[in-house]
Amino acid sequence: MDEASVIVKAEAAAAASRGIDPSLFAFADFDREAGERIGYSNYSYWRSTLRVFFRSRLSVLLLVSLGLLLLFTFVQPLIPGQKSPTVIYNDPATGTQYRNVAPGAQFWFGTNSIGQDLWSRIWSGTRTSLLIGFLVGIVEMLVGILYGALWGYVRRLDRPLTEVYNVLNNIPTTIILMLLAYILKPSFRTMVIAMCATGWIGLARFIRNQIVIIRDREYNLASRCLGTSTGRIIGKNLLPYLVSVIMLQTALSIPGTIGWEVFLTYIGLGLPVSIPSLGNLVNEGRRIMMSPELRYQLIFPTLVLSFITISLYVLGNAFSDASDPRNHV
Amino acid sequence: MLKYSFKRVAQSAVTLFIVVTFVFLLMRLLPVEGYFGDRYDKLTASQREAVLHKMGLLDPWYVQIGGFYERLMRGDLGTSSIYRQDIPVAEVIAPRIPYSVYFGLVATAISLVAGLAMGVHMARHKGRFWDRTWTAYVVFINAVPLAVYLLFIQLYGSDLLALPILFDKHRPISWILPALSMSLAGIAGYAMWMRRFMVDELNRDYVKLARAKGLSSSAVMVKHVMRNAYVPMAQYLPAAILATISGSIYIESLYSIPGMGGLLVDVIQRQDNPMVQALVLIFSSIGILGLFLGDILMALFDPRIKFVKSEGAR
Amino acid sequence: MSAGDCPAALASRAILSVRDLVVKFNLRGRVLTAIRGASLELAEGETLAIVGESGSGKSVFTKSFIGMEDQNGWIDSGSIGFEGEDLAKFRREEDWLRIRGRKISMVFQDPMTALNPLRSVGRQIAEVIELHQGLPPGMAERSAIELLARVGIPDPETRHRQYPHEFSGGMRQRVVIAIAMACKPRILICDEPTTALDVTIQAQILGLIKALQKDFGFTTVYITHDLGVVANVADRVAVMYAGKIVECGTAEEVFYDPRHPYTWALLSSLPQLGIKGRPLYSISGTPPNLFNEVVGDAFAPRNPQALKIDFVHEPPAFEVSPTHWAATWLLDPRSPPVEPPAAIKAMRAKYERSLS
Repeated sequence: MDEASVIVKAEAAAAASRGIDPSLFAFADFDREAGERIGYSNYSYWRSTLRVFFRSRLSVLLLVSLGLLLLFTFVQPLIPGQKSPTVIYNDPATGTQYRNVAPGAQFWFGTNSIGQDLWSRIWSGTRTSLLIGFLVGIVEMLVGILYGALWGYVRRLDRPLTEVYNVLNNIPTTIILMLLAYILKPSFRTMVIAMCATGWIGLARFIRNQIVIIRDREYNLASRCLGTSTGRIIGKNLLPYLVSVIMLQTALSIPGTIGWEVFLTYIGLGLPVSIPSLGNLVNEGRRIMMSPELRYQLIFPTLVLSFITISLYVLGNAFSDASDPRNHV
Repeated sequence: MLKYSFKRVAQSAVTLFIVVTFVFLLMRLLPVEGYFGDRYDKLTASQREAVLHKMGLLDPWYVQIGGFYERLMRGDLGTSSIYRQDIPVAEVIAPRIPYSVYFGLVATAISLVAGLAMGVHMARHKGRFWDRTWTAYVVFINAVPLAVYLLFIQLYGSDLLALPILFDKHRPISWILPALSMSLAGIAGYAMWMRRFMVDELNRDYVKLARAKGLSSSAVMVKHVMRNAYVPMAQYLPAAILATISGSIYIESLYSIPGMGGLLVDVIQRQDNPMVQALVLIFSSIGILGLFLGDILMALFDPRIKFVKSEGAR
Repeated sequence: MSAGDCPAALASRAILSVRDLVVKFNLRGRVLTAIRGASLELAEGETLAIVGESGSGKSVFTKSFIGMEDQNGWIDSGSIGFEGEDLAKFRREEDWLRIRGRKISMVFQDPMTALNPLRSVGRQIAEVIELHQGLPPGMAERSAIELLARVGIPDPETRHRQYPHEFSGGMRQRVVIAIAMACKPRILICDEPTTALDVTIQAQILGLIKALQKDFGFTTVYITHDLGVVANVADRVAVMYAGKIVECGTAEEVFYDPRHPYTWALLSSLPQLGIKGRPLYSISGTPPNLFNEVVGDAFAPRNPQALKIDFVHEPPAFEVSPTHWAATWLLDPRSPPVEPPAAIKAMRAKYERSLS
């Protein structure tokens, strides 16, 4: 390599830059703030969260379609000409029930084995199941935060609450659910109570760990030493972490709840048959699934159910990722 | 190490005691009608009282639970009250144990092997095609209720693969679908955790040093990252076992496998208290044993644990 | 663009020469230029220190010598000449495996996390020896024990079987150095080797590296923001700012006759140079955001005496002496005379007095 050619002598440099306007060799005005500006990246937690979230085309697609589906679920009974989900329809010509009518113009999704309209039953069932899901999600969130906060803050309660946690965490959820559902007798309220019994455990442990971290982690100690108020520490240092996990837990508890509902219905501990729910519909479909021409009664409710659970699961995870500050640029 | 194991054994025993007591007391909340099944209307009030008295249900709760533990110490799980009236619980459960153990072991083995392999594969291809493909599988298994997708596996799996739709102990081919069904959730769980731990480990400084040492990326993966990722995996062994139990209750009932899970569904519905207690005891013991094993495995693999306990070193 | 270089006199003995290196990163769809055309010549057997504040790119720069940019980073242009090859052209892992650990080794900043916590330290050293020297495990273990003794670990016979958590920070850094030494590399890169350690341990580690350098005869590159370390160990100093080397010279030249305004600012902020009774100088502002293209001299916005041209044209490297150059328009004959800050002048005066 020719070393000399790379080293730029003063004269050579001047020659190379001869074309430069000589008036530029004068002092520039110094703007103290300009030095700050160049390094400033204009970061906002929530804006970054939303930007990262909306960057994924899949998330946007699922969010929009799930939104439309939910909207439709609640608007559907208001649309004129919709059939009732609980009425048994008779064929006026023969006077007998429309049993197991295949999907068609009259019954869009067909009818079930006693002549009820599957289309309206599915939307009615979705409403029921989502309602249970949301209620359970909210209760779990409240109980989880309360339990976790007590567990983390009140040192005297640490041992007993840890013990309670160990016990609940050690019994398979299936067993707790089955026992509770059985003791309380099947009803809407029973379902909600039984399913709230265990879902809060994970959140409680998470909140507790966060609070312990808040107490001990150095950046929070530093914040405190600089005179930051507890409220601000919670708002700026704790909440971003909590929001992502709470959103995730709530988003996941809805698919989870729907799953447990299907399971409880299967073993005969679900909602009464008179209330359409996704669990009831799947179970009705299961009974006749051995005849291929009637499988639509299992497949339609399953499709709606799977779409809801998968979307919520994916969206919950996507939001949780997006709200994690480590994923922000 | 010995002292640590001993402490953990004692801890597990206490937890187990509390779990069983809790379930025992919960069972006392059940409405008494359930104890008679169809016979309720046929019996007079005094006859009903005699039956309840015979079952010991009229004693104060502390007498009932005392009696239960006293018999348990003698290895007596009690007698079935409804399901197989007056037959010792142990005798009802014993012939069912092999089925549950067999399916549990096979499912755990399949999910461990397939799940770990999938997790490693995902971590190595992080963000690329295979990672996305397997992630879709994990998402599907976690998001769609078990009770739903297992139904479809039974329905279409038997059609497509020409396998029997119900379990028949004389036809080994009928074991395939239920064993596979039981592994699906475990595979997803292991894969997800293994991927997460591998990715965590990959970001550690020691991986940088290992690469700077001149180790090829596959040597770094095998000798450092994978080895280290297995350690926290041990913790999730119990969770996976618990998941297998939950799944087995449904699957055994779905495929009519004469195991303990299907039995639990039956006896809860028929309110056979001694049977429920015995089964809860067994299922919880398995779960707690899993937790215990997980901790012991961690301590065996991770040299830091012993010392952190005794010296409090960083 | 013309780039500067370190002394031509050293060029014949150059072991590594970097030209106009550009390293870019892709961060979530945005491209960041971390190294903006940096050049450096490394002479056989010398000790060079690269100084600069956090984020100036000194770590990224040296990591590119062993192909260890993060996965989202790549060498965009430029060359890294080493043993007749251009390392910047390396794409395949097999190519890098001939260099990494064998020819060029690295010691990292934090010894607390640099070792695998689940494997014994002896194993972690022996692993390298087996790999690069092809020794059987038993002999590699002997070798590892000897190395541990060489880096000053007492009782290496027992300690090689212990795990990293049983060692203190300073001892762990000795182990990391032993790993780096295991293959007798030609170049040792020390990335802030003492930053995470106690002051008393720092001197020991620096002393150890110096002693090893004498024994093994390797070339050392220090990356540091601690000018105290530089003064102690370095033959030559390269000052890095915003992904470029802005000044390079012998340690004496850079300390006592600095020419780039950034070097002035950096040295003026040293507490040792503070003048009693006056507030300590500090550089205002922050380094530029490298997501954006830098026009002219990257330091200009923070330089109270910047020229208009600094905001328009990038300064070429001007030679100050055969061993010293700086990339600043102040060295252009057309520039108005600019006096270095008082602290720098005081330093120089003191130095000149000591010479005469």
